[in-house]
Amino acid sequence: MTEPSTAPEAVKKVSAPPPAAIDHGHDDHGHEAHDPIHAANPHLAHHFDTPQQQFDAGKLGIWLFLLTEVLFFAGLFCAYTVYRAMHPEVFVYAHYFLDTKLGALNTCVLLISSLTAAWAVRNAQLAEKRALMLNIVITIACACTFMCVKYVEYSHKFHDGLLPGKNFQPKEQIWELKSFRDRHPEAAEYAEKLSKLDEKKAAPAAPAAAGKAEPAKVEKLERPTEEELEPLLAAGLVGPRSLDPSAHISRPRMAHVFFGIYFFMTGLHGFHVLIGIGIWIWMLVKASKNQFGANYFGPVDFTALYWHLVDLIWIYLFPLLYLIH
Amino acid sequence: MASPTTTADAAIPQTKGADDNYLTHDKGFASWAFTLDHKRIGVMYLASVLTAFALGGVFALLIRTELWSPGKTIMEHDTYNQCFTLHGAIMVFLVIIPGIPAALGNIILPLQLGAKDVAFPKLNLASYYLWIIGCLCMLGSLVTNAADTGWTFYAPYSTTTQTNVIPAAFGAFILGFSSIFTGLNFIVTIHKLRPPGMTFFRMPLFVWALYSTALIQVLATPVIGITLLMLIVERVFGLGIFDPGLGGDPVLFQHFFWFYSHPAVYIMIVPGFGVVSEIIPVFSRKRLFGYQFIAISSLAIAFLGFLVWGHHMFVSGQSVLAGTIFSAITFLIAIPTAIKIFNWVSTMYKGRIHLDTPMLYALAFLWVFTIGGLTGVFLAVMGVDIHLHDTYFVVAHFHYVMMGGAITAFLGGLHYWFPKAFGKMYNEKTGQIGALIVFVGLNLTFFPQFILGSRGMPRRYYNYLPEFQGLHQLSTIGAFTLGIGFLITAISLGRALKNGKKAPNNPWGGVTLEWTTVSPPPYYNFQTPPPVTAGPYDGYEDLVYDEAIGGYVARVTGGSAPALGK
Amino acid sequence: MSDDKPEADKPAAAAEAAHEHDHDHADHDHDHADHDHSHGGHAHGEATAHADGHDHGLAHTTPVWLLFGILGALLVLTVATVSVTSIDLGAQGNLVVAMIIATVKAALVCTFFMHLLWDKKFHAVLFLTSVLFLILFLAMTTNDRGEYQHLVDEYRAQQLQAK
Repeated sequence: MTEPSTAPEAVKKVSAPPPAAIDHGHDDHGHEAHDPIHAANPHLAHHFDTPQQQFDAGKLGIWLFLLTEVLFFAGLFCAYTVYRAMHPEVFVYAHYFLDTKLGALNTCVLLISSLTAAWAVRNAQLAEKRALMLNIVITIACACTFMCVKYVEYSHKFHDGLLPGKNFQPKEQIWELKSFRDRHPEAAEYAEKLSKLDEKKAAPAAPAAAGKAEPAKVEKLERPTEEELEPLLAAGLVGPRSLDPSAHISRPRMAHVFFGIYFFMTGLHGFHVLIGIGIWIWMLVKASKNQFGANYFGPVDFTALYWHLVDLIWIYLFPLLYLIH
Repeated sequence: MASPTTTADAAIPQTKGADDNYLTHDKGFASWAFTLDHKRIGVMYLASVLTAFALGGVFALLIRTELWSPGKTIMEHDTYNQCFTLHGAIMVFLVIIPGIPAALGNIILPLQLGAKDVAFPKLNLASYYLWIIGCLCMLGSLVTNAADTGWTFYAPYSTTTQTNVIPAAFGAFILGFSSIFTGLNFIVTIHKLRPPGMTFFRMPLFVWALYSTALIQVLATPVIGITLLMLIVERVFGLGIFDPGLGGDPVLFQHFFWFYSHPAVYIMIVPGFGVVSEIIPVFSRKRLFGYQFIAISSLAIAFLGFLVWGHHMFVSGQSVLAGTIFSAITFLIAIPTAIKIFNWVSTMYKGRIHLDTPMLYALAFLWVFTIGGLTGVFLAVMGVDIHLHDTYFVVAHFHYVMMGGAITAFLGGLHYWFPKAFGKMYNEKTGQIGALIVFVGLNLTFFPQFILGSRGMPRRYYNYLPEFQGLHQLSTIGAFTLGIGFLITAISLGRALKNGKKAPNNPWGGVTLEWTTVSPPPYYNFQTPPPVTAGPYDGYEDLVYDEAIGGYVARVTGGSAPALGK
Repeated sequence: MSDDKPEADKPAAAAEAAHEHDHDHADHDHDHADHDHSHGGHAHGEATAHADGHDHGLAHTTPVWLLFGILGALLVLTVATVSVTSIDLGAQGNLVVAMIIATVKAALVCTFFMHLLWDKKFHAVLFLTSVLFLILFLAMTTNDRGEYQHLVDEYRAQQLQAK
């Protein structure tokens, strides 16, 4: 190491690289090979000076990433908000098709997995390897349960023709659904009458949604009561917001948009759950190798934070999609 | 501030050889492909971004050639649409948004912080690979019935056109993540890896600029991500959110798109501000005027940039109320921007100006960006915008700020840091000639477009009335001039890489930390972070030019040893 | 923003500093996660009593009883939010209540499960900023859509009449 000498010539020399000193072979970090902090902490990266610095950096990093995830989902929440504000009938219509119980089950499953994730962080901090691995396994199990319930829901929907976007062709009419009949029995009956009228109008026995209005002899129905009409109006089944206002009853014009939004939001969320499962498995492997302890538990902490965000998104998705009144 | 003469002291390399540096440290393709060294990643980005710039430039020349005369000149109208779409998409997503942060920032930021690397080196490499993948997706669209929607992908055309929108949109989606990860990395690096004594208000302004940019990258880019994803899903599944034929709302698409794309233009320009802030004090040999104001104004611009996206939508069907709000806030952004310009000019006042190539670019920036920025304020006036929206006036405005602003600053920064990054000096004369021709070229290309636009020439038009031909031809000549200027610059730098004179540690006399290490730096940058005891623009008077090495060293007074730090 | 000074007073990489801080290995009475106390030689976690949630090493450790308590609260709130749907509170009322309950749940998850209560304030600021931007985006877009919705409705009505 060239010390700055007092001689003026030293000024000129110094800017040239000094002659090679000790060759530390491949470990030329400029760290002495015997740097105690890095030696004692095999998981401390070379560009960090202390485990605390590494942990703090990682924590800030994951929070920034969560920030981006919030804004990523923001677009979908925005589309949801705009459409619900402008077309509330679509959302009322669609919610009869969704199973609140399964949604609530999924909510509870995710909440439990959040607990086990947070607990796992504690285990990692305290180097409690067994408990850590158990909590990670339970978290993964809950996540898989979530995905299975999701799969059940999706397959029901596909089976019932409730496909996203332009493929939306429900097989059952909404007033034939149990959830509608239970809530609004009078309206369900009235809807039946209206749809029979439409069947008579249409030339082949097509359902009202085909909406070819051939003015034939129309039976006059009695004026509907409040209980009969109001739920149908709210769901956009009758009136100017229905697909075919000239028919007596048909689904709302924009019904497919809800299911597009539904599948996109839950699908994207499910994709994040899958990624989470992958990362937790990776953490399980690392935990099994006894890597975590007081000076190195960042990865578990950061994975748990990601997982909590996935939970947070579902906490909002659930009421917005499943608890529409 | 660690005095530059103590280069070796601050960064005594225990290296394999006297000349070992990050470029020579490891050899072979794998050592580059799997590198975690921010400098190597930066160099790879630099090469990639410049290549993409050349490609985007080829499309620009094709466009300008086609517009030499009305009607068909060299291509059909559909092809023309594809040309300007690709020109825009490549330039915006592949060149300017990554541009200064990824290429220059990756090399220089840790050096200016006295750090060994960025906070997450693997994430940095991942960012680069995401760029490559995004680039390949875009090229995929290019070679297979390229998208013709314009880089803005407006619905419903983008949801219904038969051209290959999906690869282009998906490419931009991937590039968004590349951008996000770079920004994330920089924020954590700046928060956690500063050297002892470097408080936030002792950071160089390039770091402040990268910080502000990174905040925008992290907050805004996810929104374009989801927008492009929604666009793709709408094309494939007919979601019905944007396409009115399916019950959607096309204005909603514009809201979604511009919520990102307006802050994106600040991602493009704010790093340029940072580069100019670095160059001007050094080449005026004078302390930067109003450091704190420039620093805070970067943050102000970043913040305000999120509140003005609707000024791209005045004629879209957006409500007048929203338009009024957006218009008013847009005027406000002029203020922090102007503060910067005034401070830079004040820095030069009574300084000793050196008109080296980086300074030429910085001066060009001042001139050209002022024009571009002011014309932006014209466009912010709703009544004026009704006439100027979608005309060449807008095209001229954004090219003045993006080409005259971002690219000029990029080239200035490239020349400024070239000796540090590559250890070679370029030929100063050729550099200056290149800068001059670029300056002439860009004014010649784009100033006529202001006139074209105000006289009613619409943008993205293949055909035009004969009365516009003269100005179009002027613009085309300018475009080729610009191309020649870039070519000269590229050749100059290429020759410097091969045969350039060896660069001293501090050829320009800067006092920020990167000048305290050797050129090129050793692969671990600094052994110990040099202590910081003064601001980043203090101490020019302590440096003196040494003919023998062609660089600056500390002034030696009375034979005493130069001290480490002050 | 300048919340955390870099390890400014101690040259971070210098091995000497680590040795000076060797004294506090035995006890773990730390109350801030961002103080650089635990240097090397600390590779194994102490299995001493940490149920009371004192800081351990790099960060605060959440006590298990608190985790279960929060879960309990979350489950109760979930039951509540489902039950409320059977009460009719008007077109917007149910939505507002559901959002309030969801926000309370979210706040619990953020503060306790995600550790924000014991973390650097900057992280909470970051997260709230993202929520703020989300609200800004939603508000402007919905407001704008509301403003021109009448044009869409008029057009629709025209189309229906024309049929």
